[in-house]
Amino acid sequence: MKPARTLLFSILAATVVVASFTLAGAQGPGPIADPKSEKQAGFPADLYSWVIPPDNPQTPAKIALGKALFFDDRLSADGKISCDHCHAPAKGFTDQLPTSMGIRAQFGQRNAPTVLNALFNVTQFWDGRAPSLEAQVQGPVTNPVEMGMKSTDDAVAKVKAIPEYGKQFQDVFGHDVTFADIERAIAAYERTQLAFDSPFDKFIAGDPSAISDSAKRGWSIFNGKGRCMSCHAWNPTQPLFTDQKFHNIGVSAHNANFVPLARKALDTLSQSGGNAEEIDKLAIGTDMSGLGRFLVTKQPHDIGAFRTMSLRNLLVTQPYFHDGSQVTLWDTIDHYNKGGVQNPYLDGGIVPLGLSEAEEDDLVAFLASLTSPEYADAAKQEYDLQFKRSRTNRPQRDTAAANGDNGRGPGLAGPFGDIGPPQTDENPALLGGD
Amino acid sequence: MTRRSIALATAAGAAAILAVVMHAPRLRAQPAPPLPVHQVPVSKNGGTVVMLCDGKTSVEVKGLKPGESMPHAQAVEIARQLMAQWQREHPSEKWEMAQQEHQTDQSPQPVPAPSAASGAGTAAAKPTGAKLQSKGTQQGDTYASFTDRDYKVWKNETDNFVAQGNQLFHDGAAVGGTIGVSCDMCHPDGSNTHPETYPKYQVQLQRVALLRDMIDWCIENPLKGKALDPNDTRLRALEAYILAQRKGVALDYGKH
Repeated sequence: MKPARTLLFSILAATVVVASFTLAGAQGPGPIADPKSEKQAGFPADLYSWVIPPDNPQTPAKIALGKALFFDDRLSADGKISCDHCHAPAKGFTDQLPTSMGIRAQFGQRNAPTVLNALFNVTQFWDGRAPSLEAQVQGPVTNPVEMGMKSTDDAVAKVKAIPEYGKQFQDVFGHDVTFADIERAIAAYERTQLAFDSPFDKFIAGDPSAISDSAKRGWSIFNGKGRCMSCHAWNPTQPLFTDQKFHNIGVSAHNANFVPLARKALDTLSQSGGNAEEIDKLAIGTDMSGLGRFLVTKQPHDIGAFRTMSLRNLLVTQPYFHDGSQVTLWDTIDHYNKGGVQNPYLDGGIVPLGLSEAEEDDLVAFLASLTSPEYADAAKQEYDLQFKRSRTNRPQRDTAAANGDNGRGPGLAGPFGDIGPPQTDENPALLGGD
Repeated sequence: MTRRSIALATAAGAAAILAVVMHAPRLRAQPAPPLPVHQVPVSKNGGTVVMLCDGKTSVEVKGLKPGESMPHAQAVEIARQLMAQWQREHPSEKWEMAQQEHQTDQSPQPVPAPSAASGAGTAAAKPTGAKLQSKGTQQGDTYASFTDRDYKVWKNETDNFVAQGNQLFHDGAAVGGTIGVSCDMCHPDGSNTHPETYPKYQVQLQRVALLRDMIDWCIENPLKGKALDPNDTRLRALEAYILAQRKGVALDYGKH
């Protein structure tokens, strides 16, 4: 594996020093966890300059402190869960589980999003309930099924009691440990995880041989028939393959009856005052998780809507969707191809796509070309596994629905499930009611 | 319309009325006829005749063999001679300068989000719960709410595209010119390209022209290149640059 290049030699040096006495593991996370160079094909310099907050500038000492905290089990109530428990660098800063396992082997309701390029997200978490990487830190630390600290004060007290951190906080921030500074340091480390330099980036930079013909056809389908670009937006200024917005693509509709669930959520939130910790608990620990963005905005159009995720390094961040419900990229594309799962809040852009299996193979080849060099080997292995599975096992493939052959034209096909009134061709305004 | 035609139309019903009262013929999908190509007179003594985009004004470059390009200074001088000749022949024509000052950015400003909480955390002590409000993100319907980030990205992409056009405007060879002449030599900063007056009837082409038709025309004469494909990124970037140079000028199609 190609060693990751460092931002500055001093960062690496400081990291090694800190890591040597704070890491529980003997080996440490290795070079794959090191800060990444900005010298990568496709690195968005303009965007980068916009997203580093002026009140939390990147410094080598702060990054080293943040890295030590990121890999420190002692940030959790039982001293066994660190950030990298669910955001492991070797697994693309995820845990490669459908939903994450936190303290005392409890499972949450959401798939761990990657830290790679997370600095470019307008909001954090699947429902955007945190506006920054700093604000994101508290959620897992105090969530009872994640790291399980009773409060941020408890977390501060615990870090304060660790002698080697005292001097570091003094050096970096000029005062004793505070939770805001823990947030700042961890966010600063996370902002070093730049993931570009993929074959696709080299293709865009002018090397026509950087990606395969199949990937080139996939890029064309991505922009055309597949309609992927509408939400997984890419441009040189913001080359992340996300519009940073929230869409209901019918994932929760597999197992959620949205309307009563939304009523229950509104009741719960109005009783408790609906503060951030409450929302965090509902999102991670209850069946209301499937309501997605609605828990944050309480707007009906956000029911079942989740943030559009970046498509980079997908072959090391499997499985897919907010609940990790899809195993392979083929399953994920099959889901879109059949027009998602119908529900009253389905995004208007989700329609049957009529993609053939060969076209889906091309799309996956394109997605595979979005792999950064440090994950090339792992991604190749995962691609082979998924490819093999996709030849025999396609649980989401519904060719009739994809082609609009379910008795309706494209755009209306698909089962309505157990949600809402049965779908008919009549004008919904004339269906009655009051 | 004649009384007879009205009587006929009434009898034939509403559909027929439409057919009769329609003035313009319905445009069907078909390729536009090829643009005329001006035959530049052959030099008497082995040089190259360079023609202005009006299809009339021309200057001969002595000793410039087919396939040869001029040094920059000579190309500038040839462009100057062409323009001087054109201005002598058209003393009353006003040469429209490119917009001197760019107008201030008029892109719509996003409505500020109601939450004032900053995620970066400016104070050590923060009220629990206040900070997990989302700022600057989707407040309304998905397709009708844009953040300040969105506007910044759009502006950056547009400005970069215009900057690429600016580069091509100053580099004849990059748009397929063969003799060293570039767009800026006759149109410094895009002056007198009047993009706001298109579509309009152009005598050289004997048809209604779009701005891109005239860009192609100038690439053929005097740059001595080949017309670009309508989907060629270079043509689109040149068009973007020329339009950007006239930001704020009112549209006035058909104007001469």
